[in-house]
Amino acid sequence: MTYKFTVSGLDCPNCAKKLTAIIESKEDVESVKLNFLTEDLTVTTELDAIDALELVRACGKEFSKNVSIDRK
Amino acid sequence: MKKLWKDKDLLRIIGGGLLLIAGFIVKIATKDHASAKYAVPIVFAVALLVSGLEVFWEAIRGIFKGQLLDETFLMSIASVGAFIIGEYAEAPAVMLFYLVGEYFEHRAVRRSRASIKTLMEINPDRALVSRDGEEVEIDATDVKIGDTVVLRPGSRVPVDCTVVSGNADINTAALTGESLPVAAYAGTALQSGVIVMDGVLYAKADRTSETSAAARVLNLVQEASDRKSRQENFITGFARVYTPIVVGLAVLVAFLPPLFICLSRGGFDGAVLREWVYRALMFLAVSCPCALVISVPLAFFGGIGGAAGQGILFKGGCSFDSLAAAKIAVFDKTGTLTKGAFSVTEVRPADGLGKDEFLRLVSSAEAHSTHPIALALRAGAPDAPAAENVREVPGKGLLAVVGGREVAVGNLALMADIGADVPAGTEGIYVARDGKYIGAVSIADTIRPGTVPALSELRHLGIRETVMLTGDAEAPAKKIAAAAGIDTVKAKLLPEEKYAALEDLMSRTHEKVMYVGDGINDAPVLARADVGIAMGGIGSDAAIEAADVILTTDAPEKIPLARRIAKKTLRIAEENIVFALFVKIAVMVLAATGVLSLFAGGMWVAVFADVGVALLAILNSLRTVLYPPKPCCKANEAPAANA
Repeated sequence: MTYKFTVSGLDCPNCAKKLTAIIESKEDVESVKLNFLTEDLTVTTELDAIDALELVRACGKEFSKNVSIDRK
Repeated sequence: MKKLWKDKDLLRIIGGGLLLIAGFIVKIATKDHASAKYAVPIVFAVALLVSGLEVFWEAIRGIFKGQLLDETFLMSIASVGAFIIGEYAEAPAVMLFYLVGEYFEHRAVRRSRASIKTLMEINPDRALVSRDGEEVEIDATDVKIGDTVVLRPGSRVPVDCTVVSGNADINTAALTGESLPVAAYAGTALQSGVIVMDGVLYAKADRTSETSAAARVLNLVQEASDRKSRQENFITGFARVYTPIVVGLAVLVAFLPPLFICLSRGGFDGAVLREWVYRALMFLAVSCPCALVISVPLAFFGGIGGAAGQGILFKGGCSFDSLAAAKIAVFDKTGTLTKGAFSVTEVRPADGLGKDEFLRLVSSAEAHSTHPIALALRAGAPDAPAAENVREVPGKGLLAVVGGREVAVGNLALMADIGADVPAGTEGIYVARDGKYIGAVSIADTIRPGTVPALSELRHLGIRETVMLTGDAEAPAKKIAAAAGIDTVKAKLLPEEKYAALEDLMSRTHEKVMYVGDGINDAPVLARADVGIAMGGIGSDAAIEAADVILTTDAPEKIPLARRIAKKTLRIAEENIVFALFVKIAVMVLAATGVLSLFAGGMWVAVFADVGVALLAILNSLRTVLYPPKPCCKANEAPAANA
């Protein structure tokens, strides 16, 4: 399934790249697309919607306290 | 707005800044005093730690993840390096400037993002629907096809729907950029995102929220940033090599010249090494490609957002490239240059046939066709019964059975196919019954009011040649072309021949070709052109799929406007690239040659140049959102119509 999220608190393209790398490194994640300007995060994973949100939120926390991720 | 004491970035900047000032005071106070040797470095070191701890921490985390050329790492090296070679004041100053620059950069990015996003807040969250006689407010996404939507004054239309009852003026600016109100009444199709200004409307939902106009617009705009322009791709590639090259140069500058100088002098000289290391540290200050990696995509994002506010949807940065470069403009005729609404100008039944009877016959045959010509032909006798066994013959007309007799309505080619003899000297649409000619109808299409000024403005914007492709007959096509000011006409083309005609044109030129059509039956042609523009195409999936630029209205003046936006956006992106590269290279040259070292605090200048450029470039990019200026200023600019 492909899920869409909104990410807030990302201030530079580099931060977006790092967060993408963190999410990408997770086992259940097939693909990640994070658009720094539109703050759109698209993740393809086998997980269900609730677990997927939990996973990306955990990644956001791992990256920075300022990042918050919500379902679109 | 964050509370001051909760904004850690700002606190770090203020704390570091105060400590930096404290450092200078200590430096002056302890002048000529033995304690200066310890006190001054200590105060500046604390200032560096307070301001830079977070950056150092990030840098260390980066090292463990193998990101050696991360900007936090480079800034850490620059500031700590400055401290080690004894530039105690410059170390915290460099870090502070970096933080201040970042701070403003982030604010500018947030601001730009917000201003672009407000342009796109056209999709309402809530909808008022009438269920079992009661009005209930529900999530817009829960509206089902067939629901009765209640639209009160000031509300946004939640889904595409058709008015069942009520009268109101609606404002379609969110989708079309046109703020002139339009009347809505029973039968009017409303697109989601438009605003009801006065009056109450009851409408039947035709689509769900996700497939309605506003959602389509938003999807397009969001996906647009994935299709990158040449400039964006250049920047991505450039950013990858820029930092390693600058860092490499810094290492060379730090150690190579001192090595040669010391070798030639035959002994190690600490002062020489220190001077060259200092010069090298200035390289690190400009080693971040931030100015470019933020501002260039931002310019395109702003251009896409600004254009969307005008009812022009670019499918990506790449569409800007090709639209701005196009030299040849190819137009579909019907529905693009012309209104696409035909009216009957002359009815000529053959001898022995009444005019009314003849018109009823034609109307019956055309009853199911959605072709614009059919609509006009039906207008003469709208209540005529529908024909049976209707077969459309693409590009020729149709065959149908009316009252048990075979009727053919179409052009000469169709008449030839069925073997009907057409009297010489007649023109228009021919009608035959049982293989025998029984009369002709003349219809005409009228040119859109905006077509002539739009074409002449396109010429001013660098379009060298205009071409019209049409399935229509030579004579009416030439008439329209002459009125519109089109150079070349290719008439009598069947749908598949339009594609071939465009291919032929493109194979004979190396210049970019744009094609403007309505996207309904010319999707392949739209897709084939270097840049395809679909007019009024937001309702059609095929048009959205095939086109590069989609105009939400069918106003021809949007075509030159789209080209102006494309050119402006590209220019702003290029300005940023040139400006940022120029300043960075200038700093490196001045640093390497030692000019910057002449200033007290050359590193400050370098960092300031770096973050200052980034900030200016971001602000420059924001101009794309504001473009074009309000129409009041456009009047003198628009070339006079030459019809």
